[in-house]
Amino acid sequence: MAQAAHAKHPNYVGVFIGLAVLTGVELMVAFLPWSKTTIILLLILLAVWKALMVALYFMHLRFESNRLRILAVAPLPLAAIMVVAVLTEYVW
Amino acid sequence: MTHAVTEGSVMLPAAEAEQGAGVYNEKLGMWIFLLSEVMFFTALIGSYIILRFSNPAAWPAPGAVLNIPVTAVNTFLLICSSVTMVKAFANAQDGDQRMLRIWLVLTVLIGASFVGIQAFEYNQLIGHGFLPSSGLYGSTFYTMTGFHGFHVTMGVLCMIYVTAKAFRGRYTPDDYRGVEVIGLYWHFVDLVWIILFTIVYLI
Amino acid sequence: MATIAPPVEHAGHPLVDDRSFIRKYIFSTDHKIIGIQFLLMSLLFLLVGGALAMVMRWQLGYPGRPLPGGGVLPETMAPGGVVLPEFYNSLVTMHGTFMVFFAIMPLLVGVFGNYLIPLKIGAPDMAFPRLNMASFWTAVPAGILMVAGFFVEGGHASAGWTGYAPLSADPEYTGVSAGQQLWCLSLIILGLSSILGAVNYISTVINLRAPGMTWFRLPLSIWSLFITAILVLLAMPILSGALIMLLFDQTLGTHFFLPAEGGQPILWQHLFWFFGHPEVYILILPAMGMASDVIANGSRKPIFGYHSMVFAIMSIGFLGWIVWGHHMFQSGMNPTLATSFMISTMLIAVPSAIKVFNWLGTMWGGSIRLHVPMLHATAFVAMFVIGGLSGVFMASTPVDIYIHDTYFIVAHLHYVLFGGSLFAIFAAITFWYPKMFGRMMSERLGKIHFGLTFIFYNMVFFPMHQLGLHGHMRRIYDPSIYDFLKPLGGLNRFITISAFLLFATQILFMINFIGSWFRGRKASNNPWDDTGLEWTTPSPPPHGNWPVTPRVYHRPYEFSSPLVEEDFLPQDRELDTPPARAGSAPGH
Repeated sequence: MAQAAHAKHPNYVGVFIGLAVLTGVELMVAFLPWSKTTIILLLILLAVWKALMVALYFMHLRFESNRLRILAVAPLPLAAIMVVAVLTEYVW
Repeated sequence: MTHAVTEGSVMLPAAEAEQGAGVYNEKLGMWIFLLSEVMFFTALIGSYIILRFSNPAAWPAPGAVLNIPVTAVNTFLLICSSVTMVKAFANAQDGDQRMLRIWLVLTVLIGASFVGIQAFEYNQLIGHGFLPSSGLYGSTFYTMTGFHGFHVTMGVLCMIYVTAKAFRGRYTPDDYRGVEVIGLYWHFVDLVWIILFTIVYLI
Repeated sequence: MATIAPPVEHAGHPLVDDRSFIRKYIFSTDHKIIGIQFLLMSLLFLLVGGALAMVMRWQLGYPGRPLPGGGVLPETMAPGGVVLPEFYNSLVTMHGTFMVFFAIMPLLVGVFGNYLIPLKIGAPDMAFPRLNMASFWTAVPAGILMVAGFFVEGGHASAGWTGYAPLSADPEYTGVSAGQQLWCLSLIILGLSSILGAVNYISTVINLRAPGMTWFRLPLSIWSLFITAILVLLAMPILSGALIMLLFDQTLGTHFFLPAEGGQPILWQHLFWFFGHPEVYILILPAMGMASDVIANGSRKPIFGYHSMVFAIMSIGFLGWIVWGHHMFQSGMNPTLATSFMISTMLIAVPSAIKVFNWLGTMWGGSIRLHVPMLHATAFVAMFVIGGLSGVFMASTPVDIYIHDTYFIVAHLHYVLFGGSLFAIFAAITFWYPKMFGRMMSERLGKIHFGLTFIFYNMVFFPMHQLGLHGHMRRIYDPSIYDFLKPLGGLNRFITISAFLLFATQILFMINFIGSWFRGRKASNNPWDDTGLEWTTPSPPPHGNWPVTPRVYHRPYEFSSPLVEEDFLPQDRELDTPPARAGSAPGH
């Protein structure tokens, strides 16, 4: 017999509003008269925050097992290694 | 948040197997596939970062060439489609066939609009002489957004297939695998765009 | 989309198979058939790759002389049978490309990943059988495209299997246009095939292991295929991305790697080798895993240090991501970065060495059965050691600056790829042939093939160390135009003749392979007295593999176990009396 009433769904609309707000903030930040470095750091922070919200709530990672969460982040260190290593060709 | 499915449901790990990932095969498979997609976009986005560091002068100020207002709307649309997708998923879990279908159709429509607007944007840019051959800026812009758009298009096509199945009543609270799996792909595509919009248009 | 749920334990029933011929053998979703399809395709490409090498060796041994029978080649390749320099560059490129991507990689991963994984973990098939079929049928057009490159105007790709930009990005440099584009396109498609395969292998090993088949009861062949699949999953997309950028540089006027508008040639090298180094571990790990299975069987002993073998495979898989710069020591890269790569490269020798010592430890004191698979597996260990040792020299940046792009590197790569991977492939094919085809291969013909191959192989590749140290460059068309290479002409000829003999010897393998298929002695379920689950099924196994899901009770490689009279204890054999003696084998 199928369960008709589930445990409550996460607050998807709340997440949506959060994403919309963050996007608006990004648009503002991009054109503020601050130093380029500050703007870039802020924008990256905002983008990562939005991405995390999509991953945690829409993709349900917040409610999955540790195993799946570790799986999901596994490629990120590799990606970072590649980019950082090659950047040393130009930055160092 | 685990929603209990009936014992013996295909969405529970197989009884006759050693303990694996704790999720059904198709979900595990999609997550694993998404890992390869992360690496694919790493190659493109990573190259962009590296090329930009090596030659920052080749990049104009944000908004000078690209149409930020239109793309901001497009970004908002894609986020909306993620919401409609997750609402479809929630209704599949709850067994509300009517709402499932509505949310899925909305996702298809919004997703298709995203591609349409992007195509329109490309048209405008090309008309103004901004091409893939327009230096490093053009090379990276078209490649990154183009392949993202390609992934969205593939997603829309798969979404149409899932929607058609939904209209035939193939998803029940005991088996809504297809909805969950296409949802994961769709959210991933949205996630990549969140990154792309920021670094391609705003930085 | 149906989950493949293993049949329930109490309902023992014969497996019914009423598929049509096309569904059974052409568009099959059965992992065993797909494995055999990959086998036939890969062996064909192995032959093609070898033939290309023979033409190369002719030119190197007898520069400028007409190739016997070369009259059949078109004027654009070899007018009057004399290989043109441009055609020589294509030969070099395509030999490497076919061997790496269409022979060795599919032989290890496509064939044995497909064939062994479900059988050795106790599953009826892969997690996604239709995806599996798609994976094979995606590889086929990739192969066709790659062959097509020979027939287009301008000839085939000729920038090396590594396709360095800007040589590969601008037709102005090589005169090759469509050929290079086809090369990119073909590999992009092959990449997709590989990635889909990897998704399948990883999901299957994680989720479809039979009850009792815990992670540390998996045979090493499966461990290595699992880690390899992870490498494929994460490395191939990088190549795909790089190839797309290269293709766009070639066709759309982009400037990723072309310096004129700020493109970075060194970016290509970094991207390619970030993929390329995990790729070479993809080409050796399954070989190591399968060699372990064969060596344990041939020694009638458990693998020495099973757990350390597993951790060694994981370490190699992990460290393989952070050594790629050792291919680039001569590129003008950041020297500090180069040093970090030198250190990580030397580190990776450690887990490889652990594996070698464990293979030796397995054989030590064993009751050795020198069947054909064991001969190949033993040769694998010895040849891999040589290849690995030359690698240690190359790991050192100052040494590599001298030997980079010389035949020393060619010697190294052929010792690990031929001496290593290919001998292990021969071991695997001869070992699992009875299971695949239900027939035994000829032991006698197998031994002759092994002996001759081993001898000629060393005659071809060992002298290349010497050539390299003397300064003989790679990929050159005519060594005789260099004064300092003139004295090496005799050695080059020696290598060439040995290569022809090596190639000719493979006819024995072909005769054995094809002949045994029709006339080999019928094989029993378990002709090698092995402990793996695949040997509990008929040879060949039916569709679905077992009517009832196996249950696993033991570790792998329980040879010469004190618990049973026979010298092997199958993993699925339930023992009546539990091992209650104090001091009995710990860790089950």
